[in-house]
Amino acid sequence: MTLPILFACLAGVLVGVSRQVNGRLSLSTSPLIASFWNHLVGFGALSILGLSIGGLIPTGAADAPWHAYLGGSIGVVFVAAGSWLIARIGAVNTALLVIGGQMVSGVALDLLQGVSAGLLASVLGVALILAGMALTQRRR
Amino acid sequence: MTTPSAPRLNPLHLLAAFGTGGLLTLMVHFNGELARYGNALFSSWAAHGTGTVAALLLLAVLYPWRARKVGAKPNAPLWAYLGGISGAITVMLTSFAVNSPLALSGTLALGLAGQVIFSIVADRWGLFGLPMRRPDRRDLAAMVLILAGSALIILFGRGNG
Repeated sequence: MTLPILFACLAGVLVGVSRQVNGRLSLSTSPLIASFWNHLVGFGALSILGLSIGGLIPTGAADAPWHAYLGGSIGVVFVAAGSWLIARIGAVNTALLVIGGQMVSGVALDLLQGVSAGLLASVLGVALILAGMALTQRRR
Repeated sequence: MTTPSAPRLNPLHLLAAFGTGGLLTLMVHFNGELARYGNALFSSWAAHGTGTVAALLLLAVLYPWRARKVGAKPNAPLWAYLGGISGAITVMLTSFAVNSPLALSGTLALGLAGQVIFSIVADRWGLFGLPMRRPDRRDLAAMVLILAGSALIILFGRGNG
């Protein structure tokens, strides 16, 4: 059980590392160019990994609907936005606000899809997140 | 470059970051769907491949409006081009953790903790060549509220009711 816990925490750390590194690259280039390199280098690394362990192109892949392939293009905008923001509002603010936006939109997506499990906890969570965001805006 | 007490956040930056979180929800949704048809490695590989093409197209479309600043920007060190490696490792670690007893909610909660702790350290020492920032008491209070709300949603909200 220790290994999965370690891996899950490390995955979070690496999300931060990658935003920090891409942010540094965007200072010297531009956020979109940083996002391009992030995707190209990631594609290369995953190609090497996939070719060495196999199973890179599974049989079911052709059956996926076209919109399942939209994630990559959204990711380009996501990485570019993160690289632009981190140089302006810092790592902590970027991480917290992106997490807040992810949580609130996730609850909204669930509601749109008619999933209402754990609604009370979700609504309370959204309220706490919005309160936290309002607090960053309060004048001293 | 140190900002001893950070100025009030620009509301536009705040909204942009919040909206970026919405993009992340969509991205995770689509990539998750692709992973169900194939597997986690294929989903991430395809997303990086289509993303590379999309970035090239965007750069081409936006080329006439590229920033032309007088005076060269400092060159980026070689490691600054390697952010994608970190993203590729994240995919592997996450798909391992999700398939352990931690499941999705535990993986998300621990990942969030790792990300926040790293970002505090990164701001404090200005890691990887970005500006240093020190949080004030109000920033810390906002952090507690946002993290508590996120933990509630991850552990007791979405699909865990």
